[in-house]
Amino acid sequence: MADENKDKAITSKRKVGVYICYCGGNISDHVDVEKVRERIEKLPEVAAVRTNMFMCSDPGQEMIMEDLKSGAIDRVVVASCAPSLHETTFRGAISRAGRNPYIYEHANIREQVSWVHHGDKATDKATRLVSMATAKAEQLNPLEPIRVEAGKHVTVIGGGIAGLRAAKDLADRGIKVVLLEKSPFLGGQLASLDQIAPTGDKAADLVSDLAGQVLNDDSITVHTCSEVESFEGYVGNFRLGVKKQPPEMDPEKIKPPGAAGEAAGEFIPFAGVYNGDMPSVPAEFTVETGVIILATGFKSYMPSKGEYGFGEYEQVTTLPELIRSMAENKAAGNLMEFNGRKIRSMAMIHCVGSRQIPGIHPENEGGYLNEYCSRTCCSATLNVSNIIRTSHPGTRIFEFYRDIRTYGRGQEELYEEAARNQVVFLRFEDDASPEVVRNISHSGDFPLMVKVKDTLTFGEDVGAPVDLVVLVTGVEPNTISDLVEMMKLPVGTDRFLLEVHPKLRPVELPISGILLAGTCQAPMDVGEACNAAGAAAVKAAALLGRGYVELDPFVALVDLEKCGGTGECVNACLSDGALNMVDMEVDGQTVRRAQVTPALCLGCGVCVGVCPENAIEVAGWTLKQYEAMVDRIVAEEVTA
Amino acid sequence: MTSLADNQSEGKILILATETCAYPGADSVGQAHSSYPANTFILRVRAPALFPEHFYLDCFNKGISGIIIMSCGEECPYDGAYKAMATRLDRVYVMMRQQELDIRRLRLTAICTVCNRAFLNEVNQMNKVVQELGPPQMAQS
Ligand SMILES: Cc1cc2nc3c(=O)[nH]c(=O)nc-3n(C[C@H](O)[C@H](O)[C@H](O)COP(=O)(O)OP(=O)(O)OC[C@H]3O[C@@H](n4cnc5c(N)ncnc54)[C@H](O)[C@@H]3O)c2cc1C
Ligand code: SF4
Ligand code: SF4
Repeated sequence: MADENKDKAITSKRKVGVYICYCGGNISDHVDVEKVRERIEKLPEVAAVRTNMFMCSDPGQEMIMEDLKSGAIDRVVVASCAPSLHETTFRGAISRAGRNPYIYEHANIREQVSWVHHGDKATDKATRLVSMATAKAEQLNPLEPIRVEAGKHVTVIGGGIAGLRAAKDLADRGIKVVLLEKSPFLGGQLASLDQIAPTGDKAADLVSDLAGQVLNDDSITVHTCSEVESFEGYVGNFRLGVKKQPPEMDPEKIKPPGAAGEAAGEFIPFAGVYNGDMPSVPAEFTVETGVIILATGFKSYMPSKGEYGFGEYEQVTTLPELIRSMAENKAAGNLMEFNGRKIRSMAMIHCVGSRQIPGIHPENEGGYLNEYCSRTCCSATLNVSNIIRTSHPGTRIFEFYRDIRTYGRGQEELYEEAARNQVVFLRFEDDASPEVVRNISHSGDFPLMVKVKDTLTFGEDVGAPVDLVVLVTGVEPNTISDLVEMMKLPVGTDRFLLEVHPKLRPVELPISGILLAGTCQAPMDVGEACNAAGAAAVKAAALLGRGYVELDPFVALVDLEKCGGTGECVNACLSDGALNMVDMEVDGQTVRRAQVTPALCLGCGVCVGVCPENAIEVAGWTLKQYEAMVDRIVAEEVTA
Repeated sequence: MTSLADNQSEGKILILATETCAYPGADSVGQAHSSYPANTFILRVRAPALFPEHFYLDCFNKGISGIIIMSCGEECPYDGAYKAMATRLDRVYVMMRQQELDIRRLRLTAICTVCNRAFLNEVNQMNKVVQELGPPQMAQS
């Protein structure tokens, strides 16, 4: 058993393989990766160090697998991006090489080094983080994942177009679905639209068609008027407490569906598809489910009083209101009518409540700004303008915009069509929003005037006298703070739900078994929301496909040789039943010792901190491993 | 392994960052490319309640100049762990005083997954403290 590596004395019984990623320059622009390699090669426990442009690529993963198969290494450290992105990738590669995936440790040298430090300091810190990881890896033992049965069952929360799409896609794969919708209707916000950009589809048709398929599918149980009240469990075995209750409706304004004889499955304009299920008294039930898909959607931005005259002048309205008015009043005529008034001239003001800039726009109620682009409103507005100009050629339209963002297939055409339809475009700078004022000084009997410094005419001050001002209001995430709190969902700075990775894992959350679909994640159009829903459905099906899920075995382990039976750990344990004192035979004597029930153990380690004998550990996260890492932080030789 | 830190003038800061809150929080600082002192070393922990009192004293003894425990605070996924942690820490502070260690060297704080500003603030504060105090000197070592 000749030792190949003659440069250093092997004092470790482990052979740690280290793989350091350039991340296409993301790491190597700031960290001298080859220098890290040279230093790490000198560590006693390290048997091989390799570098690669992209460790997560197939060739990168192959390197690890080959070294494991050849026996060159028996522990693995990858130094790359954050572990949330690729820890599972590399554990997977180890499994494919036929080894236990828990012989792996990750060193985060991108998010926690190259993106925040520069020069020699970055290289030194990266070296130290890698040496800490190898010190831990040296002590890692193979662990068996905890396998639990997983019901082939998914719960979709939210019955908008995204929730409907996800539910139907899952049912088509033979998976049972419960769909929970808080309102009495299916279809979400799409049900409040009319003709959809850019295809011209009728929203009613899209919603009726898909909701019909969902309601007719035996694998899908739809509960309307239902909201999640409690949440517990883990992937494969979630338990949701659901409350179903009569909706709060203003009887003056909305007649309860069903009362007017609507049949189940019927589309009610600006409400959605009614499923014939209207509870008269509150009821509670539980749902046991394997995966949860969040499809809770968005709400329209509500302008504050006085914003562009909103709430002050009755002639100022919003895009959703205009869409509704047009759908309910389809009579042709030279002039469009709104609220019984003929509209000779109207203004559309883009980006209201979207793309807000700190220091320029006042904060919204609640102290935040919507800095994002709502993405669908440019096309929706141009679409509406084209319909008006075609059906009511006498109605003139001025569109005031900051930028026109018609990004998708068939959308730029809407802009060109609007120009051909003689919609007049005026462009304003970020810090020079148009002003809506009462029209007093000018001739004519137009009630309002929209004034702007128009950059298309090189800064000319322009005023457009109008009968109607339409605020192109964007979207905001729905208020789901109860779900966020219950499920500990990550929320972005924009308040939308935050995926694990925007490019690589766009519909997943860090919480295994909870997925995202549609506009609860970001502004999307209908096609994009359905895309996301389809992706979430496939991910859910893949998670449940094997009939069981494997949980990380990071649970408490008692060292019976050390355990003195004091029971301190049992007193401190946070999870009822996870730790118990039991009688057992040790060396022919009956003694009381601590025993762990793995399925109930949270792996929090509270017991570790209290054991006077250091007899209990959390597998994969032991105190000894941490101590070895601290030793490497202070060790002199590492960066020598 | 010897217990003297190399490059003492820098003063090394150990950060215990919870897997569900503070560790992704540190990643979020990275995603924003916000720079902070490089003498910081983050250990990913499930819950900092795992560490017994002596762990902290051992760290100072080994030459760690400052420790920040970045927990989830009220957001802790393990019901009760935060409280257990806070009481444990009171005892650590008593032990630090006995060792004549400035208790500013150890700090418990809550950092969420997007608390970039709070993260930077904590790190810079602790860096100031360790630069002011210099390497830890234990009374009994
Ligand atoms: C003015 C305007 C015009 C638009 N025009 C177009 C267009 O022309 N073309 C286009 O493609 N797109 C357009 N869109 C975008 C389109 O409306 C969305 O893409 C689509 O509605 C998103 O569907 P969703 O399922 O993600 O969300 P939603 O439609 O918001 O559905 C979410 C559902 O979840 C329910 N829900 C919320 N919270 C809970 C909870 N806690 N429990 C249970 N249920 C819950 C809600 O009641 C709702 O039914 C427009 C949007 C606006 C605002
Ligand atoms: S889609 Fe257009 S109107 Fe809407 S926020 Fe973006 S740029 Fe503004
Ligand atoms: S790790 Fe937590 S839940 Fe598990 S036995 Fe220890 S204290 Fe109890």
